[in-house]
Amino acid sequence: MESTTSNPTSTAAAELLSGVNAKVLLDSVDAFLFDCDGVIWKGDKLIDGIPETLEMLRSKGKKLVFVTNNSTKSRIQYANKFRTLGLSVSQDEIFSSSFAAAMYLKVNQFPPQKKVYVIGGEGIVQELQLAGFTALGGPEDGEKRAQWKSNCLFEHDKEVGAVVVGLDPDINYYKLHEHSEGSFLVKILVSLGASSMGTLCIRENPGCLFIATNRDSVGHMTDLQEWPGAGCMVGAICASTEREPVVVGKPSTFMMEFLLQKFNLSTSRMCMVGDRLDTDILFGQNAGCKTLLVLSGVTTKSILDDPSNKIQPDYYTNKVSDILGLLGE
Amino acid sequence: MEGFTTTTTKASAQPLENADVLIASVETFIFDCDGVIWKGDKLIDGVPETLDMLRSKGKRLVFVTNNSTKSRKQYGKKFETLGLSVSEEEIFASSFAAAAYLKSINFPKDKKVYVIGEDGILKELELAGFQYLGGPKFGQQEDGEKKIELKPGFLMEHDKDVGAVVVGFDRYFNYYKVQYGTLCIRENPGCLFIATNRDAVTHLTDAQEWAGGGSMVGAICGSTQREPHVVGKPSTFMMDYLAVKFGILKSQICMVGDRLDTDILFGQNGGCKTLLVLSGVTTLSMLQSPNNSIQPDFYTNKISDFLASKAATV
Repeated sequence: MESTTSNPTSTAAAELLSGVNAKVLLDSVDAFLFDCDGVIWKGDKLIDGIPETLEMLRSKGKKLVFVTNNSTKSRIQYANKFRTLGLSVSQDEIFSSSFAAAMYLKVNQFPPQKKVYVIGGEGIVQELQLAGFTALGGPEDGEKRAQWKSNCLFEHDKEVGAVVVGLDPDINYYKLHEHSEGSFLVKILVSLGASSMGTLCIRENPGCLFIATNRDSVGHMTDLQEWPGAGCMVGAICASTEREPVVVGKPSTFMMEFLLQKFNLSTSRMCMVGDRLDTDILFGQNAGCKTLLVLSGVTTKSILDDPSNKIQPDYYTNKVSDILGLLGE
Repeated sequence: MEGFTTTTTKASAQPLENADVLIASVETFIFDCDGVIWKGDKLIDGVPETLDMLRSKGKRLVFVTNNSTKSRKQYGKKFETLGLSVSEEEIFASSFAAAAYLKSINFPKDKKVYVIGEDGILKELELAGFQYLGGPKFGQQEDGEKKIELKPGFLMEHDKDVGAVVVGFDRYFNYYKVQYGTLCIRENPGCLFIATNRDAVTHLTDAQEWAGGGSMVGAICGSTQREPHVVGKPSTFMMDYLAVKFGILKSQICMVGDRLDTDILFGQNGGCKTLLVLSGVTTLSMLQSPNNSIQPDFYTNKISDFLASKAATV
């Protein structure tokens, strides 16, 4: 085999899902793992045919799990979103990267007297609090005002032992108004503070952890177009700290550990369904699952077929509800 | 092969013992600014006398800074305010480098440049005759009206005539700007991605470091999965530019800076002599750390050590 990749089966081209192989797939797996953005919904709009497809899979006794890199919501908040969209999904069927970040700290026995600085949304803050940790930052940081002259120090909390970075649409630096003779009025908004606060904690607090929920470059935050993902915020912090983070979301298989605790299943009896090659499909392959790429999100057929793409899922299809159609249901 | 270290590892940096020998051996001194000439808005001790002394010995002085927030003209004013006599033509900021780079590749005048960065870049682009959009105020919320609403039906448009995105240090950085730049780079065919510099941290105040231009560039790399063309240090673009402009040999140049991974690497990549000063971000222990592989030819406390005829004690 001429492939130099660690997984020899990844060099075979993806098969288009058909009436025949859809049945084979269904018979060979007991659980379907779904990504959310670009697979189940786009922004706040459900993708066509989702409710019927999920119902059909449940009726056939398949377990359904939702694994999302979008850290803006906690699992409870995702359960609410599902309910708002007319889908019945419980909290413990959801594995968000916000949850993963909190679990990473728990599993690694992060001391509860230390604090966690969050560059990201409410979801991360909530999951950290649920796990018993003290979270600073996030969207609650609000506007802080500090008046200081050119020789004043921007204080950072020395008790911060970890910085968690996720998707943060409020990312910014800060506003500087130059008055005379080098004195500054500084308005520190939500995440510049995130930029410099996070940077200072990582660079100056000994042993400070740098955790990324995920590194997705873009995602469908709205139905009409893609928007910069957590990969953008993480990229900013990597550059200013000159450090690489521990990534807890896909394609890292960290979340799989928790999934396996829930189900007594071999990963080869699972199918990961996602729209991103370098997160969803790679996650599935790394964990030993079957993989199905849907073209309803960020990946197009030409990206899949491009010679520069080295990640080939087992199957691909337009959207999740094709499964319904192909099985003649 | 056991424990074989590369034979190209440089000898360790030497403390500057005889400044006169170094001064006599070069024709041009290139100085970084932050941490070498000034810290924030405060001049470092002994700088005016040192520059005067070098000029009196007939040395050419050039100032090369990665700080893109000001244009060369604005830097000229800063030097003047600090009591130093330095002309615009002696200053090469990365804001100027971005415009000079676009000129050097004949960037078409009917295309536009989108800027994530501050006034300095805009001014230099204007001087070079390029159309631009963006800059510090772009995408700022006005009158409480939100620029972005992440909800169904919301679509951010972008100018299809943008042929280059220039990213530099931006204190007004926000998600709107990131999305705009990301759309241009991902969707406009052949759109260039240019970075003024990638400094991890910067000294906005003399008291401490702040996240630098590298973090804005890192954000765009993260969302586009593309690497930029860097025009500032340690890229040798500015070195090549001024060597041609002044007709000087690089072996006749000494680069003086406070950062190993920008200033010193810039000098080494350019084939110049290099002198590290410890008046900025780099300490002696950082220089001597086993993790550091960048060794300048010489190091000293600050540039006014040139004035001492004996070795300055470090």
